[in-house]
Amino acid sequence: MPQLSRRCIRYAWPVSHQSRPTSPQPPDVIERAAAAYRALADLAETIEDEWQYVTDLVDAYLPGIRGLAERDVELELDVVVAVDEAIAEIASITDPHKAIDWLSTFPHVVAVAVGGDVDRPSEVSEPEDAAPPEPEPDEDSPFRILLRGDR
Amino acid sequence: MRFQDAAPDARAVVYAGIQADPLVAHVASLLAEGTPAERWLARAVMNGERTDPETWRRIFPVLFGPSTDPALSDHAARVLDASLGVASRGEAARSQYRGAIVEELTARLLAGRATAVRRERRVLFDGVRAEIHPYDVTVESGDKPEVYDCKWGARGISADVLNQLDDARRHAADEDVELAAAIVVFDARRSCELRLARSTAEHGGTGLVALEELDALAEKRP
Repeated sequence: MPQLSRRCIRYAWPVSHQSRPTSPQPPDVIERAAAAYRALADLAETIEDEWQYVTDLVDAYLPGIRGLAERDVELELDVVVAVDEAIAEIASITDPHKAIDWLSTFPHVVAVAVGGDVDRPSEVSEPEDAAPPEPEPDEDSPFRILLRGDR
Repeated sequence: MRFQDAAPDARAVVYAGIQADPLVAHVASLLAEGTPAERWLARAVMNGERTDPETWRRIFPVLFGPSTDPALSDHAARVLDASLGVASRGEAARSQYRGAIVEELTARLLAGRATAVRRERRVLFDGVRAEIHPYDVTVESGDKPEVYDCKWGARGISADVLNQLDDARRHAADEDVELAAAIVVFDARRSCELRLARSTAEHGGTGLVALEELDALAEKRP
């Protein structure tokens, strides 16, 4: 075998198996986001009157955040930086009231950054012990389209 | 039923000063023509701890990345700058500014399809004791009036707010008036729905307009 061919074979594998220098794998940064979100919830839970709402938010959004890692999409470096900056923002919060605001905001900021969706219908579930459903608005109610949430 | 100016109390006088701040109109004007991503940017910045614009530019590459449409980037930069202007007012003032911005934004969007858009108005019904709190925004058309309560976050959805809106709708129906009553929340629809799901207050006939669907205010009666 000519020397040149052996050289190609020898160097082809390491090159082809190098991880791309653009970013860590998506699950890493998304898992960091999920861990940061859980820590934010721990802070928010110190407001006893809002414990239920905090629990509902976490139940709704934490699977949605983790679900962002399940897409077959490699994140660009600027997206990874964006998520890490958002994590740094919520890590800097010390006020539990502000933490509650961010429990709603953070998942959507991350979703905007990665181009995903944390509100997928399959992940929306009514709390098991929620208040009983109220009567549906009239069929011709001007509110019906908004109340259905199908806009 | 009829609409009436709210009697100004001390709180209203102070708040009126904030509502009249040009920064409120400026932010609302930008958000009225903004994209959903820009509205999330504004919410994040005005809720945020950090006031360095470069930090926020890094958090929103979809708005400030190298491949972003320059026109969108320019507009987003104005949204960012104005939002930082609110964030820099300090914790105490910023919550009042945020509330005033949602009200102004709602009024501006409604003005896209209605002429009689008013602020801080009460609704009076025959034989019914008047509510103390005025509605943030009203559309006072003769046959199909609308009343709106505006909130910065889903956490602001309370039983008091829901009861007042539902009462108004029912009293109007008693007078054969089709009153649209809705709550506008500058927060995620899903978060609002979670809040509503735990509420025992009647809200089946009350509309919800969340951050993702604000443009609907300019398009049709909710």
